[in-house]
Amino acid sequence: MSYISKHLDENLGPAIQVKLLAVLVTAFLAGCSGGSGSAVVQNVDVAAGDSGSRSLVLSGPPPQSDDVQRFRLELWENIAPDNRCGQCHGAGGQSPTFARNDDINRAYEEVNALVNLNQPAQSRLVEKVGGGHNCWQASDQACADILTTWISNWAGGTVGSSTSIVLTAPPEIIPGASKSFPATAGVFATTVHPLLTTYCANCHVDDAAIPQSPFFATDDVEASYAAARSKIELDDPANSRLVVRLGSEFHNCWSNCVSNAAEMQTAIQTLVDSIPETEVSPELVTSRALTLLDGVVASGGGRNDASAIALYQFKTLTGNTAFDTSGVEPAMNLSFTGSVDWVGGYGIRFSAGSRAQASTSTSAKLHQLITATSEYSVEAWVAPANVTQEEAYIVSYSGGNSTRNFTLGQTLYSYDALVRFSATDGNGNPGLSTPDGDEVLQATLQHVVMTFDPTTGRQLFVNGARIDVADEVGGNLNDWDDTFAFVLGNEVSNNRQFQGVLRLVAIHNRALTPTQIVQNFDAGVGEQFMLLFGVSHLVDVPNAYIVFEVSQFDSYSYLFSQPFFYSLEQGALPSIIPLQGMRIGINGREPEVGQAYANLDVVLDASNYSVESGQPLSAIGTVLGIEKNPQSDEFFLTFERLGDATNVRVEGGIEPLPVSADAAPVSDIGIRIFDEINASMAAATGVPAANSDVFNTFTAVRQQLPSSNNIEGFLSSQQMGITQLAIEYCNVLIEDPALRSARFPGFDFSAAPGSAYAGANRSALLDPLLVSTLQNGAGPVATQPDVTLVRGELNSLIDRLVVTGNDATRTRTIAKAACASVLGSAAVLLQ
Amino acid sequence: MRRIVGSITLLLVLFVSTEIQAGPVEQAKRIHDRIAGVPPTVEILEQMANIIGSGSGSEVANAEQAALIAIDHPDFYRTTLKNLATPWTNRDFDIFAPLNDYSATVIGLVRDDRDFRELLTGDQLYVGSAATGGPVYSASNNDHYEYLEQQGLDLAAQLEPRSQTSLTGIPAAAAAGVLTSRAASRAFFIAGTNRAMFRFTLVNHLCRDLEQVADTSRPPDRVRQDITRSPGGDSRLFRNNCVGCHSGMDPMAQAFAYYNFEFDSDNDPTGENGRLAYNDVGVLDPDTMTRVVRKYHINQNNFPFGFVTPDDRWDNYWRTGRNRNLGWSSTLAGSGNGAKSLGEELANSEAFASCQVTKVFKTVCLRAPVDGADRAQLSAMTSSFVSSGYNLKQPFVESAAYCRGE
Repeated sequence: MSYISKHLDENLGPAIQVKLLAVLVTAFLAGCSGGSGSAVVQNVDVAAGDSGSRSLVLSGPPPQSDDVQRFRLELWENIAPDNRCGQCHGAGGQSPTFARNDDINRAYEEVNALVNLNQPAQSRLVEKVGGGHNCWQASDQACADILTTWISNWAGGTVGSSTSIVLTAPPEIIPGASKSFPATAGVFATTVHPLLTTYCANCHVDDAAIPQSPFFATDDVEASYAAARSKIELDDPANSRLVVRLGSEFHNCWSNCVSNAAEMQTAIQTLVDSIPETEVSPELVTSRALTLLDGVVASGGGRNDASAIALYQFKTLTGNTAFDTSGVEPAMNLSFTGSVDWVGGYGIRFSAGSRAQASTSTSAKLHQLITATSEYSVEAWVAPANVTQEEAYIVSYSGGNSTRNFTLGQTLYSYDALVRFSATDGNGNPGLSTPDGDEVLQATLQHVVMTFDPTTGRQLFVNGARIDVADEVGGNLNDWDDTFAFVLGNEVSNNRQFQGVLRLVAIHNRALTPTQIVQNFDAGVGEQFMLLFGVSHLVDVPNAYIVFEVSQFDSYSYLFSQPFFYSLEQGALPSIIPLQGMRIGINGREPEVGQAYANLDVVLDASNYSVESGQPLSAIGTVLGIEKNPQSDEFFLTFERLGDATNVRVEGGIEPLPVSADAAPVSDIGIRIFDEINASMAAATGVPAANSDVFNTFTAVRQQLPSSNNIEGFLSSQQMGITQLAIEYCNVLIEDPALRSARFPGFDFSAAPGSAYAGANRSALLDPLLVSTLQNGAGPVATQPDVTLVRGELNSLIDRLVVTGNDATRTRTIAKAACASVLGSAAVLLQ
Repeated sequence: MRRIVGSITLLLVLFVSTEIQAGPVEQAKRIHDRIAGVPPTVEILEQMANIIGSGSGSEVANAEQAALIAIDHPDFYRTTLKNLATPWTNRDFDIFAPLNDYSATVIGLVRDDRDFRELLTGDQLYVGSAATGGPVYSASNNDHYEYLEQQGLDLAAQLEPRSQTSLTGIPAAAAAGVLTSRAASRAFFIAGTNRAMFRFTLVNHLCRDLEQVADTSRPPDRVRQDITRSPGGDSRLFRNNCVGCHSGMDPMAQAFAYYNFEFDSDNDPTGENGRLAYNDVGVLDPDTMTRVVRKYHINQNNFPFGFVTPDDRWDNYWRTGRNRNLGWSSTLAGSGNGAKSLGEELANSEAFASCQVTKVFKTVCLRAPVDGADRAQLSAMTSSFVSSGYNLKQPFVESAAYCRGE
C-alpha cells in the first residue's frame, strides 16, 4: 500500500487544487474570525421532536478535555437518550458502553474505537446503524447520515476536507464477458413487464392514488423497462431488487412471498437468458477492470454545515420521505406529494403536480431557530429542468400564494428571493432577483445560496459568486409566522410548481459568509470515488495504475474526470512510455459516446511524474451512460497504444451520402420575386428603379411582394402590392415627357382621349407596350400571353374608359391604366 | 383609380398555356429570365434565340453560349446574385435584408471570375467605387451599401475589391473572406459564443444544418465548459443529442476564438453601429488573459471539467466518422489556427462545391432537384464547377441550359 500525500491536490489539476486550497483557507479563516459569520455551536434541543421517554442526566467527573466536551455536546447528547443508543449501550448495559451517563470520559474512551473523525461516514457507528441496527428513523440511511452529521460536528466543521487521500490497490480483475441491457425492451415486454403491470400497478405508476417511484409498472413498456433496469441484476437475477423485495423484505407480495419471488426471478432469468454475452474484443489493449465500489472514496465532506438546522441529502433513493439529516431536532422530514422521483447520485426530481413538504409542527423549528439569530441562509444544489418556467418555487417556508417567511424561486433565467422582513410585505415583496439579462440561472446543476442578515439584508450567490444586485436594505424578522410549512418544489398551495432536480438542500440559521459559500460550492455534491485501473501488465512499472475520479453524475450517467498515472510502488518511475487513444470500457465493450480521451497522446515519463501525485493525463471529464447500475457496471480502459502494446484502429469504409428519394414533379415555371419584379418593371417601362416616386412605393410594398419563386405560394395580397408598384411605374412613365416620348414616340399625350385613341392612333401606345412586356418583336413568344388576346383586352379597356371631351389628363390616365394592366400581369410576373 | 385597378385584374388571368413547345425564342426568354431576373429586350432575345437555334455547337452548348449573354446583364449581379447571397448574411435567412459587404463580395467575386473558395478565405471585400458618391465604407455601419442599393446602381460596374485590413483593420492573416465581413460578424459574432458563425457557414455553404451532421461517436474532449452535460438534470440529452453537434462544432468554432463583434448592447442592441474586433498578437482579453475572447469562457460552471479554450487552434473531428462523406480535401491537414485556414478547410470540401451548385440550380431552375436526372446533372455541374476553378458563373450557365425548357 502506498498513499498520496497532502500534495496530491497540486497534481490532480487546477480544479481540485483550487478546491482543496479554498477549504484550507476557509478552515484557517474560520478559526480566526468572529462576528455573524463565525461558526456556531448549536445547542441541541433533545427534548423536542421525537416521542418516547428520555433520561439524560450526566453524572460522574467532568470532561477531561475540550475534545471530550465537544464529544459530549455534539454526539453523546444526541445518542445517550434511552430511546437511542442509550437504551442498550448505557452504563451497565451492552458493550461497548459509549452512551453511558455515569462517566463521560469513559464513554469517550469507548466511542473512540467506533468513530473515524477524518472520515465520519466511515465510522463503525455509522456503518452499524446504516446497516439496519436499531435505526430510530424509517430509513437506515437517514440514521447513518444523521450520525455522520453529529460525528462531523464533533470533529469540527472541516472534516472530510482532508488533503490526504489514501489509495489502495484494487482487486486484480481481468475484463470479462458481460451481459448488458439491450437498448430497447424486447424480451422484457413478455417476461418481467407482465408481472409488474399485473401486481405492482397499484402504486408504481405515475397516476396511482399514491404514486410510488420508480414507475416500472406503467403500461408503456419502454418507460417501464427504463425504470426497472436498475432493479434487475443481469449477472445475479436472484439478487435483483425486484426479487429481494418480495422474497426477503415481504414487500406487497400478491400471494406467497417465496413463490412470488421465485416467479419474478424466473421471469428475470428468462430475460437474462435471452441476452447474449458481450465478449471483450481480443485485439483490444485493456487495463484491469473495476466496479465503482472497488474505488477509494475520494470525498464525503468538506462542507460547512456548522449552522445547518435542516439538511436534505436525498440519499434514501426509495420511499416517499426525504429525511432531514441535520441532526437538529425535531427532524423536519419531507413527505412527497405527486410525482417526486429519486435521482441516482442522490437527489429528487419534481414533475408537474408534485412537492415535498414538512409538517407545520416540525417546520416551526425554522421559526424558532432563525428568529433567535435573525439571520439565515437557504442553500440548494439545483438543476432546473428548463429556463421557461416562471414563479416556480424551489424552496419555500410559507403559508400559501400570498404569505411566506422566505422563498427561493425561479423565473425564466433568474433566481428570485422572496424574503419576509421589515422592509417587505407579508409575501416577501418586493423580491430580489438575479438580473434577467445576465441569464444567471441555467438548466444545469447549480449551487444557489440566499442569505439574510439584519445589516446587509438579502443576498444571492450562484456557484459561489455573489450576484451583484442593488439591495442594501437590512431589517428584522419580527413579523415571521411560525404556522407555516417548509416545502420543496412548489408552494404549499400546490400552484407554484418547480420542475427540476434538487440534489441537496440546507437551511442555516446564520448568513453564510462568502468564504463559507465558496467552501460549500467547492465541496460539490454526491459521492466520488478514485478508480485505479491496473496497467502493470502493459508497462514496465510495478503497481502502476491509471486513476480516475468517478462519481454518479445523475440517474443516467457516470462522470469520469481528471485521470492521472500513478504507481503505488515507492520509487517506481515511468520511463518514456507512450500512451495514445485511451477509451473507457463498460461491461466488456467500449461505448461509442463520451470517449473524451480518444485523442489523448502523452508520454509517461519520470520528467512529468511526481512521486506524490503521479502524472496528470488530462484536466477534462466526460459523462458515460449507466448500463446496469452503479453496483454492477464493470469498467476498464483500452488503449490504442500503451508502451509496446498497440491496437491500430482502422476506420471502416466511407458511408456514402444518402440519395434522396424522387420527389413529386414541381412546376417548371415560377413567380418573380420582389427585386426581380421591380427590376422587370423598370426594364419594361424605362423608368429607373431609383426614381424617387418609384423607390418610395417599392419600399412601401417591398415586403408585401413575393419572396419565393414558388408559384403555388402566390397570394392575392401580393398581387395588390404588385398592382401598386405597376401603377406607380406607369404613372411616372406617362407623366414624364422625356420618358413617355422615348417609349411611345408616336402617341399624342396632349390630345383628348377621343382623338388620341382614335383608330390607328392607339397602336402608338399599344405596340411599344406589347413589345416591352410581351417581347413581341420579330414574332410572338409562345410562352407569353397571346398578343392578339392581350391587345383585344386592352382595346376593350380603353373603349370603356374613353369619354368625349378635350381632356389630355384623361388621355394619360387611360394610358396609365393600359400600361399598368399589362405591367402587373402574368406577362411580366411569370418566368 | 379604382376603375384602373379593376381593369388590371381582368388581365391577370392571361396566364400562358401549360403545354407549350419551347423553341429557341422561348428558351432564350427563359434563360434570360432565370439568370438576369428580368425579361430581355427584343434585341437581346433575338440574339440569344439565334445562337440557340443556329449555333455551331450542340443544343446544350448553344444554350450555354446564349446564357453567357444574359450573365452580362446588370441585373444578374444587382438582382439575382444579391438575392442569392442576402439570406446568407443574417440569422433569419431574410432575403429582404439590405445589401452589405458580404453580399457585395459574393457579387464581386462572381463578376471577376474569381475562385469562389475565396469567399471563405480571401483578404478582400468589395466596395462601391468612389464614383458612386454617397457614404464611403465604414467598419461600424452599413450606410455605404444601403446607399448603393437605393441608387439602383450597376453593381457590376461599380464594385471594387479592397483588402480587409484597409476596411476593417484586421490583419491580412486574420481575414477569412466573408466570414470576417462586417455583415457576417454583426450577424454571427454578436453576443453568444461564436458558434453561430460556424453553424451558419455550415448551413449556407455546405448546405447542411447541424442535425444533418450530428455524430455522437466523436470524442467530446473539446466541448466547452458552457455546455451542460446534464440539461435539466438529465444527462441522456447530452449524450444522445448535444454531443452529436458540439463534439464536432466546438473544435472547429475554436478558429474564431480571437474575434468578436463589439457594440453598445444598451443603446444599440442590434449592433447597427457595432464593428468587428480581433485580438491580434499581444492583445489580451482582460477576462481570459489570453487572446481568446471572454465569450469562450462564459458559464464555466455549467461543466467545470469541460474544455477551456486556450487559443484559436481548430481541428476537424469530422474527418473521421460518418462525416468523412463531406469530402474533405486530402491535401489539407484538417487542423490549423484561425478563421482563414478553417475557411480553407470548409471551402475545399466536396460538400462546399456541391452546395454552391445546388443553390445555383435552385435559383435558375426555380426548384430543388427532384429525380435521378436532376441529381446526375448536379453531379456533373459540381465537377464542372471545380474544374472551372470554382467559377460560379459556370453552374449558372449550365443550370440555365439544363432548365431551358423543351
